[in-house]
Amino acid sequence: MMQVQITGTMVLQIVVSGLLAGGLYALVALGLSLIFGVMRVINLAHGALLMLGAYTTYWLFALFGLNPFLSLLVSVPMLFVVGAVLQKLFVHRVVEAPELSSLLLTFGISIFIANVAMLAWSSDYRSVEFLTGSFILGQIAVSKPRLISFVAALGLTGLAFLLLHRTKIGKAIRATSQHRDVAQICGINVRRIDVITFGLGAGLAGAGGSLVSTMFAVYPEMGLIYVFKSFLVIALGGAGNYPGAFFGGLLLGLVEGLASLFLTAQLSEVIAYIFLVIVLLVRPAGLLGGRT
Amino acid sequence: MPEGHILEVREVTKRFGGVTAVNHCSLAVQPGKIYGLIGPNGSGKTTLFNCITGLDRRDEGEIRFKDERIDGLKPHQVACRGIGRTFQIIRVFPELTALENLLVVSRKGGLAGNCQRAMELLEFVKLDRLQNEYAGNLSYGQQKLLEFIRVLMTDPELILLDEPAAGVNPTLLNDLLGAIRKLRVQGKTVLIVEHDMKVVMGLCEMVFVLDYGEKIAEGPPEVIQANERVMEAYFGR
Repeated sequence: MMQVQITGTMVLQIVVSGLLAGGLYALVALGLSLIFGVMRVINLAHGALLMLGAYTTYWLFALFGLNPFLSLLVSVPMLFVVGAVLQKLFVHRVVEAPELSSLLLTFGISIFIANVAMLAWSSDYRSVEFLTGSFILGQIAVSKPRLISFVAALGLTGLAFLLLHRTKIGKAIRATSQHRDVAQICGINVRRIDVITFGLGAGLAGAGGSLVSTMFAVYPEMGLIYVFKSFLVIALGGAGNYPGAFFGGLLLGLVEGLASLFLTAQLSEVIAYIFLVIVLLVRPAGLLGGRT
Repeated sequence: MPEGHILEVREVTKRFGGVTAVNHCSLAVQPGKIYGLIGPNGSGKTTLFNCITGLDRRDEGEIRFKDERIDGLKPHQVACRGIGRTFQIIRVFPELTALENLLVVSRKGGLAGNCQRAMELLEFVKLDRLQNEYAGNLSYGQQKLLEFIRVLMTDPELILLDEPAAGVNPTLLNDLLGAIRKLRVQGKTVLIVEHDMKVVMGLCEMVFVLDYGEKIAEGPPEVIQANERVMEAYFGR
């Protein structure tokens, strides 16, 4: 077997790439975490919503040549509406039900959306050939779409935190996730908060999809892997802990990257899950614990 | 219907499975007074509070606030009609700052007005220096005060306090009692669930006694204290 010397530059390259991937995980996981925090609903349809965001970007690019990063302005509001409608029609029925009900419901929704997508657009892999190539920074290369996606993901995550902390609706969302019944006593219409939160969560998933489409293939079941990764991120950061979702995302990207460097790319996914098991054994509430 | 009742609970019953937590309970509350609601553990006091505020849906009976039925309303609608409450176990929002705990309350008036009101209340209980501290980092007593002023944000006409004196040291207790009396001077109506008989006797003009979900007595505190059924409910035969 060929022995490869691991250099400092390689490690730096991997750390940068890992963090870039992690920013995207953080964005998608924050959406899932928001929904879970407020409603205690585990949204298995999160990946399907991400896929819808990706197709939105793909079609806007394929048909009209719209810049995929600008298409965020379409995909995020559109997925917000899709999420809000799903909440109003279906999810509200399982909000205070046992968790199995919400798992089954959102699993069903996810299968439905993925199959409609297959019927409508076939299972072909499609790609958005917009940006290729890399920026060279000193000794390391950073892929252009990844860097821009990372910046966009960071910006959107920042906007989401601004919304949560600076606006009245955001404070009401946080209050509802901390004490649902007390929030009601304070005059907060939690049903309305649920609708807005599911819309926001779906919007973040859609944004994730748009960004993913600039780097990877777009197909009806592309979202699945991101649901799993989001679970990992949330378990790392603590369920319903919003800053935890952010740091958990970056951490996951980093761990995957380092594992692929020191072991093999195939093993890196396994390593992420092993890492999860260790974290759950040592700190069951997540690395940051608690809820925010 | 008798005139001038701000709150009327008529024949309200609430069951949880086979357990009847509140049983054909009726109370009439006049505005501008401080009422006590006492009874042994498990006698249905908190459940009755939950029925009034809409957190539990009553199975039978009627609840009227200012002559309008509120028993079918959602909790946030009840809150917006002008009923505020605290909880037996403190429930501030731990990951919101003290100020945010107040601002999150749904209230008419713009952001500036809400901020001003919140700051006044924080000053009222001397928590203004801690406005940007997360509520979860405040001491027990400070959290209790914060929860209390959160109720006052909307300026509710009827205030339900669930065991305000529980776990409170004597200094803080005096502050709280003073604040409650001040509410009465402002014309508010207060209904207090309380175990500490000294607090009840010193504060309330009228006392209702619950036992096994039924109202077994009502009257001024001195009369209640001498009531045999009440003694029986508390101490057994």
